[in-house]
Amino acid sequence: MTPASFLETRQAAWHRLETLIAKAGRKGVCRLTESELHELTRLYPAVAVDVSRARMYKLSPQTQQRINSLAIAAHGLLYRRKNARPFRAIWQFLSNDYPRLFRRLKGYIVLAAVLLIVPAVATYLCVLQRPSTAYLFVPLGLDMPHTTEEVTAEDISERFRQMPNSPMASRIMTNNISVAFNAFALGITAGIGTCYVLLINAMMLGGFFGHFTNHQLTFEFWSFIAPHGVLEIFAIIIAAASGLRMGISLAIPGRITRRASLTRGAREAVYLVLGTIPMFMVAGLIEGFITPSYIPGILKISLGIMVWAMAMAYLLLLGRSNSTVKAAESINK
Amino acid sequence: MYDFDVIETPENIVLERRLAGIGSRFLAGLVDNLLLALLYLILGLLLMGILSINPFNIRQIGSLESIGLVLWFLAFFLIYWGYFCFFEWLTNGQSPGKKYIKIRVVKDGGGAITFTDIAIRNLLRVVDSLPGAYAVAGVCMFISRKTQRLGDLAAGTVVISEQPLEYSAKDGKKRGIQWEQEISPESLRVTGLTPEELRLLHNYSLRRSELTLQARQRVLPKLILPILQRLGHEISDSSMENLEYYVDYFLQLTQNTNNPETLPPKGNS
Repeated sequence: MTPASFLETRQAAWHRLETLIAKAGRKGVCRLTESELHELTRLYPAVAVDVSRARMYKLSPQTQQRINSLAIAAHGLLYRRKNARPFRAIWQFLSNDYPRLFRRLKGYIVLAAVLLIVPAVATYLCVLQRPSTAYLFVPLGLDMPHTTEEVTAEDISERFRQMPNSPMASRIMTNNISVAFNAFALGITAGIGTCYVLLINAMMLGGFFGHFTNHQLTFEFWSFIAPHGVLEIFAIIIAAASGLRMGISLAIPGRITRRASLTRGAREAVYLVLGTIPMFMVAGLIEGFITPSYIPGILKISLGIMVWAMAMAYLLLLGRSNSTVKAAESINK
Repeated sequence: MYDFDVIETPENIVLERRLAGIGSRFLAGLVDNLLLALLYLILGLLLMGILSINPFNIRQIGSLESIGLVLWFLAFFLIYWGYFCFFEWLTNGQSPGKKYIKIRVVKDGGGAITFTDIAIRNLLRVVDSLPGAYAVAGVCMFISRKTQRLGDLAAGTVVISEQPLEYSAKDGKKRGIQWEQEISPESLRVTGLTPEELRLLHNYSLRRSELTLQARQRVLPKLILPILQRLGHEISDSSMENLEYYVDYFLQLTQNTNNPETLPPKGNS
């Protein structure tokens, strides 16, 4: 076969494959009819061979590249995962995969929790010892007015109530999710950046707590932090755990290559952080609507603990039945 | 020089994809960031609009201002974190900037990218853009074998170029030379040339304007005389003008054979 006759005989097949690929488009092979699909599976191997033949005949780089990219497009169509339906995939993820992932990565969650609680307690003790250090840890914008000596419970309540409700809820929500995403992304620095995020949050938490304790406002503090804060801090810990998961996979790859380890770790980590979004949504709504309201403090605190207990129950109990385990295994493959 | 990403198919055929360079990636990023800046500008104006209606209504649940502000915060969040994710998911790996520069995100080792890949590579954008102007990404792409930034490494993706290959085609573009037509069976029949010879003449004509006169004088006789000899042309005058005329003569012949059976120019798929 001469190059010329090669081009002549094969062109019809290339045209046909091009048409089929255009028809399939982004949606993939499900756009094609059954006979077209059969045609595609016959055409692709033949065109893949054409790539080698075009190389052999030393056709122009342009023509070689055309056949090459045709083969790549067909390869991409045939060798791909099943397209999941988005809503079903999200439901499957939340009801089954996420709790299982949480339990599998509980070591990282505990690590992140320790990295938050230890500096928080240290900061708390530090502020108790020397009240003036509170200003090192508590951001000025959120602090009491400068006349800290006469601060009363009413002052605090008013300060929190100055915030508007629904816009505040959405702002807090998006801000917190951004913090969570940052905690995840900074994990790529072998986890150091994530530790930094945890440290900042821990110092703020411990600083606030110590500051309010110094002013004998412990109960008020809890009634304004607990309703949303317990769930929020819990979600931040999970987000930080996802950063640590990725960071440790990069730092300690074990028996696989560092690159493969990072890719695998990032995959688990991103699922872990994406699952915190619903938690932040709930926490944001509580912070916007319930925290500033006039409900008695003890009710607010118990609500916060209840919401957290529900989240824990969800994470520890769901996705344990046999049928869901099988489904999850098929997805993890 | 281009770097290639190689896919080995189950049929044992090696397919090659050209990796996008740091330059085109940076340009695509620039286009995307200009678009983002425009979106933020619109958001800023909207915020001013919302706040100018009646700021005292903002705390009231259900008021126009409070709903507006809620939507504003959500919109800002979605644009900040979702711009790249949304477009790369929608177009199978091309944000508007990438589409403009003709580059695409694909899976390292072949196959289509999934939403997980897109989420990883774009959430890690915040680290890649540290400390500014995507400095981390630039260094990382420079070091990594397949021009990957941190997000690409974590997601297992590469960015490939989909620009058609062009070898200094300044001249060729002007004259509208169609590459696929040259080696059509028809043009081979009319000129009596082999595909290799025809391609040689084309490459010469494309680069002619970029070669010095001395180089042309050195190259052209070596190139065209054997062809003319094989075809049995009598060469009485071997001056540069005459030899150049033969090149144009052959190419002119191929131009006239407008064969509709050849592959159409790319860009319609």
